[in-house]
Amino acid sequence: MEIKTKTEGDELVISVSGRIDTVTAPEFDAGLKFGDSTRVLLDLENVPYMSSAGLRVLLTAHKTMLGRGGELRISGVQPPVREVLDITGFSDILNLI
Amino acid sequence: MTQRRSLNLKIALSVLAAFLLSMAFTWFVHSRLSERDAYKLIDSTFENVEAEIIDCVNERLVRQCMAVRERLDGETRKDTASLQALAKELNVTEISLADPEGNITHSSVEDYLAAPGKPAFNFVTAGGKAEDMMCLVKGLETEYCQPFRSNTANGAWRKFVGVWIPSGGFVEIGCDGESLRRLSRSTLMDLFGNWRVGGTGGIVVVTETGLVISDYEEPSREGSQWEEPDDTFYWKRKDIEGFRTYVMIPKDAAAVQRDVLVGATAALNGAALVFVALLVGIVISSFVRRQIRVQAAKELEMAKSIQLSALPNVFPPFPGETRFDIWAAMETAKEVGGDFYDFYFTGQDRVLFLVADVSGKGVPAAMFMMRAKTLIKSMAQTGKPLAEVFEEANNALCEGNSSNTFVTVWAGELNTRTGHVSYVNAGHNPPIVRLGGKVEYLKSRPSLVLGAMPGVRYRVQDLQLGPDDAIYLYTDGIVEQPNPSGALFGDDRLLKLLAGTRCTRDKLLSKVIDEVRRHAAGAEQADDCTQLVLRYRGEPESSSFEYKPTMEDLAKATADLDAALARVPMEARCKLMVAADEIFANIVRYSGATEWSMTVEITKHPDGARLVITDDGKPFDPLSHRDPDTTLKAEDRDIGGLGILIVKKTMSPVIYRRRNGKNILSMGNDYGDKNQN
Repeated sequence: MEIKTKTEGDELVISVSGRIDTVTAPEFDAGLKFGDSTRVLLDLENVPYMSSAGLRVLLTAHKTMLGRGGELRISGVQPPVREVLDITGFSDILNLI
Repeated sequence: MTQRRSLNLKIALSVLAAFLLSMAFTWFVHSRLSERDAYKLIDSTFENVEAEIIDCVNERLVRQCMAVRERLDGETRKDTASLQALAKELNVTEISLADPEGNITHSSVEDYLAAPGKPAFNFVTAGGKAEDMMCLVKGLETEYCQPFRSNTANGAWRKFVGVWIPSGGFVEIGCDGESLRRLSRSTLMDLFGNWRVGGTGGIVVVTETGLVISDYEEPSREGSQWEEPDDTFYWKRKDIEGFRTYVMIPKDAAAVQRDVLVGATAALNGAALVFVALLVGIVISSFVRRQIRVQAAKELEMAKSIQLSALPNVFPPFPGETRFDIWAAMETAKEVGGDFYDFYFTGQDRVLFLVADVSGKGVPAAMFMMRAKTLIKSMAQTGKPLAEVFEEANNALCEGNSSNTFVTVWAGELNTRTGHVSYVNAGHNPPIVRLGGKVEYLKSRPSLVLGAMPGVRYRVQDLQLGPDDAIYLYTDGIVEQPNPSGALFGDDRLLKLLAGTRCTRDKLLSKVIDEVRRHAAGAEQADDCTQLVLRYRGEPESSSFEYKPTMEDLAKATADLDAALARVPMEARCKLMVAADEIFANIVRYSGATEWSMTVEITKHPDGARLVITDDGKPFDPLSHRDPDTTLKAEDRDIGGLGILIVKKTMSPVIYRRRNGKNILSMGNDYGDKNQN
């Protein structure tokens, strides 16, 4: 798994590559460093699939941003990831763009 | 029908009984009513009769009293003897004269007159009824009549009548019964002669000694001795002014009314009863007819449910089975035939499948079908060769088969490893096979139907199925369905239909039924339509791996699976990877297993993949867990259970078994099957 973080204007952009499952979820969790940003874009274009282990991380991140009055947006969601988000109802919670 | 006739008879009898009973009741009631009415009439007649008699007698006596007064007016001889003579002459019993103070001054009765030491009879001091006479001197009345009564003075019966004397005082006459009779007879005789009571009844007046004065029946009997009426009359007697008066009504006259009433009631009731009986008859017969129809419908339903309930109806029947798939369907006709299909494992790698058609229809066919199905299954599951199964089932079905019912059966036994099929055709339609893409009838010499003759030998024949080959069984309801002009669906049409379609499984079966219906063009379904299709998929490409419950082995399993699924298309592979990850995580984290394993099967025809994951941890059936609420807000979300939900939604079928202390979860996805729902 590879996680790249860069700043574009006032937005923090985090790009993830590789599958997110039980094995890689801790790495994914550790890689999501927001600092004190209130605007974060999570790019999942290179994530082929994600299991419920990844959902936990996404939920935590989402709550963190909500807690500081910020916003977490998610882009580049692939169909297999999208299916998991739809089944679990996460599509309705997360800001998918 | 006998039942119905006896029912009608019972109804007729009870109606007749009710009719007679009601007539008897009416007769009784009207008898009582006519008796009561007769006495009512007699009583009210008496009121008139009494008034008439009293008026008549009073009038007559007042006239007589006036005559006495006239005779005495200016007469100086008023001594007792003279008055006695006058009384005799005028047919009265006694005559008295009273002064304005009520003292009797002259009388034909010596006792009333004053004598030494005894004052004259005084109407005032005598009191009682006598004093009433004083109204004549008070200027209230000019005449006064007392009723005929027992005289208080001497006990003799008298009727006293007085008229006033304008110059003062009054004249009083007293009459005994005989006197009354003589004076009043002529007027009384005419009084009631024409009175009729209750049609032919009437009034009889006799004297107190029983001499007839007036007899409505025989006026000529006047003066003769009267005898009281007998019990052919309703009658009553009343003594009025010394006259015995009878009002009597012959019973038969009173009964005329009753008889008319009863007759009329009978006629009306009879008419009503005939009407009601007709109505009841119509209602009951329609009810009975409906019951018969309902019963027939129930029997049909029963036959249908016997037939249908006996058939396996959950598809796919062997979830997780990757070497073949089997689908069957039956459309029952309105009048149930005895079709059935069946399939079951007869050994580790052997599955028996068959389609059969029992001769005849209705409940008997359904019962025979049950026997045949049960016999074949119980014998086949002992693992005997197919020929022996058929021979024994045939012998058993022949026993006591007096109705000569029989059953045609096509049965095959598939070796799921090799695709080899042994089959027996007991007089059934030839199946259609697809072998290497070529669709044709599987012609073979059929053996005899089951149930026809004991001791028959059944020929077992062979067929080799390769991957993606299929066999289609059906009953004659399909090919013999006529259209309105009588043309049958036919073998050729069925073969062309199957050769020309890419449909498989249930889609294939429903397509055939649709075509048969289209051919029927509204004509009723002639017979049960039963079909079964078995497709051989071949041995899957299989690889197995064993692990310990550690995160390292979990990573290893993920890599192994990724490699095993290398040729599976991306979308299906991702689904399998996600689902596998959920199960792996559960085993490693929560199961308490000491070891676990995974088998990956890559199947063909259609393309698919299946994972069988086994662990020796605590029992855990993911399918029995309730789905989490996926509609909660982010703040309220808990992550638990979402993994299982993902597995259930993306994999089909998912099968859980607990065997030998192990959880066995099988899940897969036939991604190549375009017929999937």
